[in-house]
Amino acid sequence: MMYWQLASGSISNASMSKLKIAVVLSVSILLQLLLREVWRPLSYIDFPLVVVVYIALQRDAWQALLVGTLAGLIVDAASGGLVGAGGFSKTLTAYVIYFAATRVNLENPLLRIPVLAAGSLLDSAIYVFWHRVLGYPPAVPLMQTMSYKLIATTVVGTLALYLIDALVAERSAQRRQFATRRRVARRSTGPLRRR
Amino acid sequence: MTLLVANLVIMAVDAKDADGRQKVLRIWTQAFASPLQNASSKATGATSGFFQQMWNFRSTATENEQLKERLAQVETELHIARQATAENERLRALLLLNEKSDIKSVPARVIARDPSVWFNTITINRGSSWGIQVNMPVVTAGGIVGRVITVSPWASQVMLITDEKAGAGAVVGQLGQSGALGSVRGRADLGVGLIEMRYVSGLEKVEVNDYVMTTGQDGIYPPGLNVGRVVEVKNGTATQAHQILIQPGAQFDHLEEVAVLLYHPPPRSVPEQTPQQNADRTRR
Repeated sequence: MMYWQLASGSISNASMSKLKIAVVLSVSILLQLLLREVWRPLSYIDFPLVVVVYIALQRDAWQALLVGTLAGLIVDAASGGLVGAGGFSKTLTAYVIYFAATRVNLENPLLRIPVLAAGSLLDSAIYVFWHRVLGYPPAVPLMQTMSYKLIATTVVGTLALYLIDALVAERSAQRRQFATRRRVARRSTGPLRRR
Repeated sequence: MTLLVANLVIMAVDAKDADGRQKVLRIWTQAFASPLQNASSKATGATSGFFQQMWNFRSTATENEQLKERLAQVETELHIARQATAENERLRALLLLNEKSDIKSVPARVIARDPSVWFNTITINRGSSWGIQVNMPVVTAGGIVGRVITVSPWASQVMLITDEKAGAGAVVGQLGQSGALGSVRGRADLGVGLIEMRYVSGLEKVEVNDYVMTTGQDGIYPPGLNVGRVVEVKNGTATQAHQILIQPGAQFDHLEEVAVLLYHPPPRSVPEQTPQQNADRTRR
């Protein structure tokens, strides 16, 4: 009986986590599709890449690669570039970050900043490389666009990662639970209570 | 590895048959995304209107309360009226364009711009249900905008003339009177503000402020449409072409309404072949 409860509990946790990832990914793709019409500089933020980096940092290789491919392909299909170029670049970026995360400890939130910057740079470089190789040069200046994208994705991505962490991560949920319990325990043994 | 290879294959197929053929993935994505983009576009307009009103309120904060209220009210009304007038003028210009020309056109609204920062396509809210087809020219009253590259039932994607892959046959001055023929296209380092004209013979006289028109030789744009105005010329020689920069007539930063010309270029005549050429071809 207990085994079944545990099993069903773990399944629901896993599926809930996947559902959350799916929702976050959908929101990121929607933001990417819609925000340029609102204000052009907002298109420098690569929202799907932030989600891909987040999942890759969780060391979930398959999920990261699938999310990278899916997000890249959808954005490619809506853009004027080659379909598959974004899928390729995001998949490879996800793998490289996953590879690094399994060998080096990237748990520290501060380390996410250089990881995001490197991810953005790698993604842009691969994307532009394939377009140039296949005869589709981008319609904007390379270095300027790459730099703007790096800065925008890193700054907004760092904040977005905190947000995703708070919404999605089970560990942070546990941390929140522990913090609540600790607060309750302190309150019950506080000076007012003793009196 | 499998995912990377799959992406690579899709990319290679897309690059191979990129011109003139529709891509299923694009059509479906556009069909699903266009209602959202349409709604978002409308919401953006409403939100910016709201913030504009807020801004108007702030700018009159130094005046007394009664005047402030009255002024804000008037300004809000004026803003709405101005927007309506501007829209009216744009639509009238498009209508005039439609009346002046024998070619039928479909007015459309820009509902989205390219989600990737690397390209400058736009999405309009008219598709194959309105008779739009791939490679049809898109224009504004100011000049040519680009050509349709993907069509779904309710929306179409347009490649701007400022793209490096876009191009149009053009002439400096009036068609039939000027020999300064060449082709216009975008250049990455120029951004969306300027386009370049290439292959204009260095022997032809070209000056700043000359108008550039389409020739119709590209098989996409009808002849006689305005492209823009020459803003810079580096004179060529007998063996070297002029280097010409053009400011497009269409304002790409503020594109809101456009018209798709339902234009089918006349079929190109195939030169008659001699019996000897026919025999050679059969042998091959």
